[in-house]
This record gives sequence, C-alpha cells and structure tokens, in this order.
Amino acid sequence: MTLVEADRRGRGLAGLAGTTPGVLGGFALVLILVALLAGALTGLGVQSRVQAVDDLAARTGPLSVAAEQIYRSLSDADATATGAFLSGGLEPTATRRRYEADIAQASGTLAVAVAARDPGDVTASGSTLATLSEQLPVYAGLVETARADNQQGLPLGAAYQREASTLMRTRLLPAAQDLYRTETGQVTDDQDGAGSFPILELLLGLAVLGLLVAAQITLYRRTNRVFNVGLLGATAAALVALLWVMVAGIAVMGDISASQRDGSAQVDTLAAARIATLAARSDETLTLVARGAGQAYQTDYTQVDKHLGDLLAKAGTQATDDKVRAKIDAARSDHAAWTAAHAKLRKADDSGDYGGAVTVAIGTGTDSAATAFDKLDGDLRDAIDQTRAAFNQKVADAGGALNGVVVVVAVLSVLTAAGAGAGIWRRLRDYR
Amino acid sequence: MKRALVVLAAALTLSGCASVSTTVIPTVPAQEPLPGNASVGAAPPAAAAEQCTDPVASLRPPNPLPAPGQMPAGSTMAKIAQRGRLIVGVDQNTFHMGFRDPATGQIQGFDIDMARAVAQALLGDPNAVQLKVLTSDQRIPALQNGDVDIVVRTMTITCDRLKQVGFSAVYYDAKQRILVKQNSTIDGPAALGGKKVCATKGSTSLAAVAALPAKPVPVSVSDWTDCLVMLQQGQVDAVSTDDVILAGMAAQDQYTKVVGAPLADEPYGMAIPLQNQDFVRFVNGVLQNVESNGTWTASYQRWLGSLLPGATPAPPTPQYRD
Repeated sequence: MTLVEADRRGRGLAGLAGTTPGVLGGFALVLILVALLAGALTGLGVQSRVQAVDDLAARTGPLSVAAEQIYRSLSDADATATGAFLSGGLEPTATRRRYEADIAQASGTLAVAVAARDPGDVTASGSTLATLSEQLPVYAGLVETARADNQQGLPLGAAYQREASTLMRTRLLPAAQDLYRTETGQVTDDQDGAGSFPILELLLGLAVLGLLVAAQITLYRRTNRVFNVGLLGATAAALVALLWVMVAGIAVMGDISASQRDGSAQVDTLAAARIATLAARSDETLTLVARGAGQAYQTDYTQVDKHLGDLLAKAGTQATDDKVRAKIDAARSDHAAWTAAHAKLRKADDSGDYGGAVTVAIGTGTDSAATAFDKLDGDLRDAIDQTRAAFNQKVADAGGALNGVVVVVAVLSVLTAAGAGAGIWRRLRDYR
Repeated sequence: MKRALVVLAAALTLSGCASVSTTVIPTVPAQEPLPGNASVGAAPPAAAAEQCTDPVASLRPPNPLPAPGQMPAGSTMAKIAQRGRLIVGVDQNTFHMGFRDPATGQIQGFDIDMARAVAQALLGDPNAVQLKVLTSDQRIPALQNGDVDIVVRTMTITCDRLKQVGFSAVYYDAKQRILVKQNSTIDGPAALGGKKVCATKGSTSLAAVAALPAKPVPVSVSDWTDCLVMLQQGQVDAVSTDDVILAGMAAQDQYTKVVGAPLADEPYGMAIPLQNQDFVRFVNGVLQNVESNGTWTASYQRWLGSLLPGATPAPPTPQYRD
C-alpha cells in the first residue's frame, strides 16, 4: 500500500479503518484506553485489598476482640453477682469491685462496638447490639435491687438475682455470642478479601501486555520496523506493574494465611474455650445457689466441661508458638485441678455438707474451684493475647507488602499509556 | 468473582452512583424482664378434683415412740439412722416458713424447725438434716424418686396428692387469701376478673385461682418470691396463696396488703413416700410430742407470731384413720 493509495481511499473513518494509519491510530487509542482502564481497575483491586487489610488491623480485628470482651465481662459479672449469694452476710468488697469492673468493661466496650457500626445495623429489628444496649441497664438495675433487698435481710433479694440471671442467660449472653460470631465472620471475610489470589490483577496485566505485543507485531508487519522504543517502554512498564502487583499480592496471601494459622484460627478456639470456662463456672455456682434444685445446671456443667476439655486439646494441636503452647499446657493442668475441685465440691454437697461445698466453690485456698477457675481464665487470656499479637503482626506485614503499590500501579499505567501513544505516534507521523 | 464485584462497586461509588439513604430512629419498646419459667395465662390442667373421705386423717403413731438409736430393724427410720442424716425437701423462698437468711446463708423458719424436730427424735440431733431446696412442682417427683426422705414445705394435704404420697397429720392450718398492692382496688376473689394473679407451678393455689368463677388470668412461676417480684414490677395484679406465705411477702414489702375472705382451707402436712407408712406413723408421733411439749408454740411465736395477727393459736388437733 502506498501513500497515494491511502490518500485515494479517502476520507472518513470507514475509509480509514483498513489503512495502516487507521489501524495504528486505532491501536494507539485502544492501547491508551486499555492501559489507563486496566491501571485504574488494578489500582482499585489493590485498593480493596489495602482496605481489607486496614479493616483487619483497625476495625474487624479489634471489634472481634471487643465482642469477646463483652461476652466475657457479662458472663463474669453474672457469675460474680450470683456467687455473692452463696456466702451469707456482708458481700466481700473484692466481689463487688469485680462486678463493677465487669459492668464498666462491658458497657464501655459495647459503646465501641456500637460506634463502629452503621446506624442501620443497630436500628434493625432484633439487632444484637440493640438488645445488648437495651437490656444491660435492665440487668444492672435488677442486680442492684437484689443487693438492696439482700442488705435488708430479705429473701426477696435472691429472687431478683434469679430474674437478673435469667435475663443474662436468655437474652444478653446469646446476643453477645451472636455479636462475637458476626464479628469473627467479618474477620474471615476481610481475610478472604485481602488474601485471595490476585486473579483480576493478573488478567488485566496480561490483557495489556497481550495488546502491546499485538501492537508491536502489527507494527512490524505494516512498517517492517522491529523495535519501537515507545512500545518497548510501555511493555516494560506494564510488565513491571504486573510483576509488582503479583509479588505484593502473593506476599499478602502468605501473610494473611499466616494471620489465620498463627492468629485468628487459634484465637477462635481459645475464645470458645474461655466462653465455655465462664459458662461452666456459672453452672457450678448456680447449682449451689439452687441448693438441690439445680440438677439442670449440673447436667449443663457436665456437657460444657467436656466441650471445654475438647477445645483445650484442639488449641494445643493448633498452637504454633512455644509461649502459647506453654500457656495452653498450663490451662489444661488448671482445668484438671478445677475438675478435681468440682468433684470434691459435688461430693460434699451431695453428702449433705453444703458449707464444705461452698468453701470449695468460692474459697481462696489453692485447691478451691475459684482459684483454679481464675487461673484457667488467666491462662486463656494470656494465650489469646499472644495469638492476637501474632495476628496483628501478620496483618501489619500484609499492610507493609501493599505499601505504595497503588501509586506504582498508577504511575506505571500512565507510563504504559504514554509509551504506547508516543511510540505509535512516531510511526503515524511517517504517513503525513 | 466477589472481589470483581467489590471493585465494580468501588468504581461506581467513585463515579457517584451511590444513593443517599437516611436512618430512621425506631421507637424502642421496653421489654420487661420475667422470672425464669414464668408463664402467663397457662392454667394448670383442670384435674377433676378427687373426692375422698377425710383426707387429713393420717396413720396412728406407735406407742411408745422408739427412742433415737433404737429404731425397729428394717424400718424406714433404721435406714435413715444408718445414713446418719435426714434428707428433707424444703423451700428457701418463703419468708419465716422456709427461707434462706441472707445474713447467715442458713435456711430456717417454721417448716425447718418442724423438720429438725423429726431429726432430733430420729437421730438425737436436730442438725442431722440435709436440706434440699425444692420448687412446688418438684415435691412429689422428689419423693417418688427417693431423692428426699420427707418434704416439709408448706404442702397442702389433698385427695389428689394422697394417691401419690403419704401425709403426716396436719401440723399447720393455713387459708388461701389474696395479696395486692396497698393502693389496689381489689378487695376479694370476686374483684379478680381479668386480673393477672400469680401462684407457683404445681401448687394448690394455682389450681384454686384458675378455678375462680371471676376468671382471673393465672400467672405461674417457680418460687413464691418470684410472685412478689412480679407484683412489685407491676407485672401481676395480685398474688393468691396461703395466708402464712402471703404474710411473709407482706413483711418484705410494706406497700402490700392481704385482702378478702379465705378462698380455701389449706391444711399442711409433711409428705413422705407412699410406701413408707412406718415413717408416717413415726412422724405423727413426733408431731404429737412437738405439739404437746410446747416446741410447736415456741416455733410459731418465733417465726409467725410477728407476721400473723391475733394470739398464738393452739396446735392443730391430729386426726387418725386407724
């Protein structure tokens, strides 16, 4: 095809389509558009990973901690308030302080959990956060009424405490457990979002590279020129961008899967164990408070205690860190000590020695159920803290791997577009 | 694919396609807390009241009563003596009858005194008792399962119950009445139409409330103090049960009063597993002693004298069928 022919073929886009300048011009246009679009989409894709990692670090991760904290505080508050009815006479100051601390922690953390949500989540009917916010003051009111009656020496106090406990066990704790499940579900979602294979980025990068290669082959066929500096530059920029995104994406995949293995998966098991610990302690206390009418609580204790043993064993096999393993070993031996104390307590109660049973249950001796329970709870708290630190570290690593990737993608996609445009422009000028 | 959608949504958001929505603040209704196991409007199965002649006549005690440590071989008492303690089903919620004193953590009251008198006569030690707390509806199953030797828990002798358990002679005569708030207009059973009236599950009081011609709405709970909680919280309009239990409630809340004529007689007996007739006779002997030697009167004055109006009554006269 010669210049004259091209000229003769004439005017208009339709006529231009089959000509070399037409083809090249079209290519330039498509390349620039695709490079910029792919850059924008890749940037958004990377940005959504950055967002998920940020969420894990600043939002869903801490909120799952908050949800666990709310459950623990509420459950401990109820076990403490109920336990105060086991011993006669003046409520020990330590018991009162513990209850107050639990309620303060629960309501403070609840405020954090509520603030982190959109208003619509809280106003939805049956929302767990609404239930918690509405019922916690009711619960606290009942406990204070119980206390006031108790201080006047009226058995009515125990009835208010039972009503409070019923509210806790039938509404507040199920809502808190629901909240915890939702929040850990969000963590898993964010981990999936941040740690999936960067398939979209790969396909977009390959599409740009494919177009660039096609452009260079067309250019070679039409103009017999092997190398075009602009297109080569564009190809290099696209390649670098793709490699950069892929390396960062795969590094994030590794970090996120480590954040699951070394962090959240273990936290889930340990938190479930801690919840079981608290439930078993409530059952143990309520069995004694019911004084013989508590068979249902004892049956529940047996089930929860077995589940607790299974969870501790599972946590032991999941542990990837020696310090955590040591804490879980300590938890298992404290659990065994507690089980022994519980057996002693039940034996005393069943043989008519109620006072002896109460001493084992709430005494401060080294072999009391209270001591073993507190130690077990402390072991689990430490183990959870350590695995959470591992989780945070891995999420921070993932965040580091994604640092600046969006800027790099943006700059390189502009370079790709500019290179492609400039390269083809040079050839087009030959046709003037 | 999910991530592709997220990216697309992000792109749309950036291009300004997101719609604006407002948050409607809902009106939040208060939800009143309920005692565990409370149920409103659930009337007990209307059992056709069994008829029997003279339910309060019990078995004649042996004369003389065997002394502690000398129970007849093979008797129920001998088995209890072997164990060394009497297992008693009691209440920890009925003020001054059977209640847990918050100051000491001990269960005490008129019923507990009576149970200790049985332990004293059987084992020579009033403290050789193991108290097991039972709710009203757990009393008969606990006796039938052999979980307790005896139930001393404001339990009314009825013909229905006599088919399931044995009863001692009457040790206290109660009357079912009505407890309302100080400012209530309810003045008797006839004024209870459509009102919520509380009683415990498995009690004769609940059956009597459900059977009232004025048709109140029965509300049932586990323990008597749960009724007082619900009355204080305005969830029920009245509590109806035996005068002695109501007096214990009124003593805990000075803004309540007991009203109306008695609805029914409620003779209290100690319940014992049906097959242990020897133990019924023994307990009747103990009651005879307790009533004649002043123990009954002393216990009445200690616990109930301040709650119930009038002079200390004479102990009930025991009746025997043979």
